Amino acid sequence: MRIKRLKQPKYLAGGIVGGLYFYWYFFRTFFGTPTRGRGVTLVASPQNLALFESLGALILLTILLVAWIIPHQRAALTFTEAEVAFLFPAPISRRGLIHFKLLRSQMAILFTTLLLTLVTNRFGGNAWIHAAGWWLIFSTLNLHFLGSSFARTMLLDRGITNWQRRLGILALVFLTAGVVIVWARQSMPAFEPSRFQNPDAIKEYAQQVLTAGPVPYLLYPLRLVVRPFLAPNPLAFLYALGPALLLLLAHYWWVVRSNVSFEEASVEASRNLAEKVAAVRTGNWQGARKPPKRKRAPFKLRPVGPPAVALLWKNLISAGHAFSLRMWISLAVFAVCGSVAMGHASGGSGLRPALGMIAAMLMAWSLLLGTQLLRQDFRQDLPMADILKSYPLRSWQLALGELLAPATALTGIQWFLLILVVGFLWQPAAAKIGWQSWVGLGFGAALVIPMLDLITLQIPNAAALLFPAWFQAAKGGGAGIEVTGQRLIFLIGQMLVFIVVLIPAAALFAGVFFLVKMLLGTATAIPLASIAAAIVLAVEAALGVMLLGWLFERYDVSAETAG
Amino acid sequence: MIQVEALTKLYGEFVAVNELGFEVKPGEVLGLVGPNGAGKTTTLRCLSGIIPPTRGSIHICGHDLGQDPIAAKRELAFFSDEPRLFDYLTVEQHLAFVARIYQVKDYEPAADRLLEELEIAGKRNALPGELSRGMKQKLAIACGLLHAPRVIYFDEPLTGLDPIGIRRMKDSILKRARDGAATIISSHLLHLVEEICSHILILKDGRKIAHGTLAEITQQFAAQAGETNLEEVFFRATSEAGKDSH
Repeated sequence: MRIKRLKQPKYLAGGIVGGLYFYWYFFRTFFGTPTRGRGVTLVASPQNLALFESLGALILLTILLVAWIIPHQRAALTFTEAEVAFLFPAPISRRGLIHFKLLRSQMAILFTTLLLTLVTNRFGGNAWIHAAGWWLIFSTLNLHFLGSSFARTMLLDRGITNWQRRLGILALVFLTAGVVIVWARQSMPAFEPSRFQNPDAIKEYAQQVLTAGPVPYLLYPLRLVVRPFLAPNPLAFLYALGPALLLLLAHYWWVVRSNVSFEEASVEASRNLAEKVAAVRTGNWQGARKPPKRKRAPFKLRPVGPPAVALLWKNLISAGHAFSLRMWISLAVFAVCGSVAMGHASGGSGLRPALGMIAAMLMAWSLLLGTQLLRQDFRQDLPMADILKSYPLRSWQLALGELLAPATALTGIQWFLLILVVGFLWQPAAAKIGWQSWVGLGFGAALVIPMLDLITLQIPNAAALLFPAWFQAAKGGGAGIEVTGQRLIFLIGQMLVFIVVLIPAAALFAGVFFLVKMLLGTATAIPLASIAAAIVLAVEAALGVMLLGWLFERYDVSAETAG
Repeated sequence: MIQVEALTKLYGEFVAVNELGFEVKPGEVLGLVGPNGAGKTTTLRCLSGIIPPTRGSIHICGHDLGQDPIAAKRELAFFSDEPRLFDYLTVEQHLAFVARIYQVKDYEPAADRLLEELEIAGKRNALPGELSRGMKQKLAIACGLLHAPRVIYFDEPLTGLDPIGIRRMKDSILKRARDGAATIISSHLLHLVEEICSHILILKDGRKIAHGTLAEITQQFAAQAGETNLEEVFFRATSEAGKDSH
């Protein structure tokens, strides 16, 4: 279906851009084209090899601990319903089923290996060594996850509950960490934060901890898994390969020898998988996610009033408990009190301005990228487009209703951050431009933020209506080179539109500001200029809503679902 | 109440519905039947404003669906074969949402009555994921009937219902028809169509091949006098239409 879709020019463009991106960023280095100025390298020097090994082993350890601590279900090998129907009743041993599952998982492992090799090859090293190293790591992890699921099931069968298991593992982890800490206190210089003023000092300390004392021994098995990947040359790779393969075989032996029943849980898992696949195939991406929980309505919805509010109400329920009026009021009170308290507590230190800058950066980031996180709009409701089209609403009312929930949520977040920015940067700003101007700037920003959010949300929603195959509910959605290309196009497009939309508002702001400043001063000029800019943005937002409504009206449900 | 003239829907070169015209008066129940791919669902989606027709006109209670879709949609309700619900809204929240969309003032008594009639009053706080298929369908029906539509479309209304649910559904359809609603039912269950429909429209390959009361269609296609079985009439009508087209 994806290949068929590429016949349409709009999807083909995404495919071309995605292909160029992948070639330029990943495949060029395979064909011998050197990349300029690599700042970061994955090639470990002889001095750093032990440190890299230990770091890699530490990452693997974290992954394995999560696999042992978090899951709570019984062991299940995921088969499709067809596989369950054919293989389970067939004269195939349990070992045969496990072998089938392991072989099938190799497809995903090989694909992931290829992808990661393309990524890591940019940072130096031999591509084939990296590929083999990744394969060993993922194959070992895959077997370990399976073995750990069997072990967890065995513990459950013996009456050891999930929480008892978790506490036991955490106790072991803390005990081990305690041993390392005791050794570090006895063997190394005292830990003083003032010593770590630069990255080199931190790196040196980490190197000492990770390469001396008990840590390398504790991490030894995992270092064996990572060692082939970090091998600097083919000879070192071959030398490291033997132990890694032995460890892989040991995992294999552990999995096939585990005497644990997985059939019942596998049948249940395959049924759940089939339901998700069926939901996705009918365009209902919501059905592919975990079942939602009951959520309280953010406010009482009266039966009479602007119908777009019904969509706002519905989508706020979808967004969750976070978006209730009580929560926002609490956040605002916290922000104000927090800023004031911080002002008294921190004295002349740089903490408050630093927090203010962080809040300002978060605000700017949320303007550009927050729209990708909050998707309770057409991107969520497109599978229900036929229901929306049957409602007695004008298309612009539908468009406005769909945009209101994420716009409200984004505005709330940004106003909260704005209060923090104004509060934390009060002193330096007031000293430079006067407190009246600073408050005026805050007021102006608060005015324009909702309009900017409405405008930035229109872009991904318009894209969802134009390219519905790539925009499916909430998280996830399409995948592939053409989808990557499409996302690149829209990221660039979104930024361009954002800049273009700002130009008239910025021009009017500047004009009104300089005019009023001459007559009444800066403190009055800023709010008045902000009001003018907000009006321009409101007009642009309104035009955008009409356009989005027009796009939704043109959206042919049956043509898109047939495509 | 429902007036369709020269309704045509094209997908590129493919003709899904071809120059379809018919009328359904208040109190009538039209059975829309035809083989798979005949264009029944496409027709219903055009009649409910979900997809735009390529040509033709549709009037719902005197309102042109193309020129005045808002007024037309206020009068109608469409029930698809699969209940379409929002996974995160409870039964009660669904009704509140629909009430606001259709501006149903004082909707609570009507909602209570519908929930009692459909026997899901005890599931007010349940999410669709917690309901059986039949209950989901009942919730979809409750949402669709809340604004007392005068035009109702059903696409395979009995799918997934148990025998009691089937009986209740049939009674509900007939009750609304007696109250003056114009109803169209699309179904492969010819015995259902025979039982509750006053008129029948047979579609094949997007074209109307028969339209009228059961007696009129039987007279047109019956092989022998006295034959009143819709199933036999249907097979004869659709096979004759196939011969004509070749």
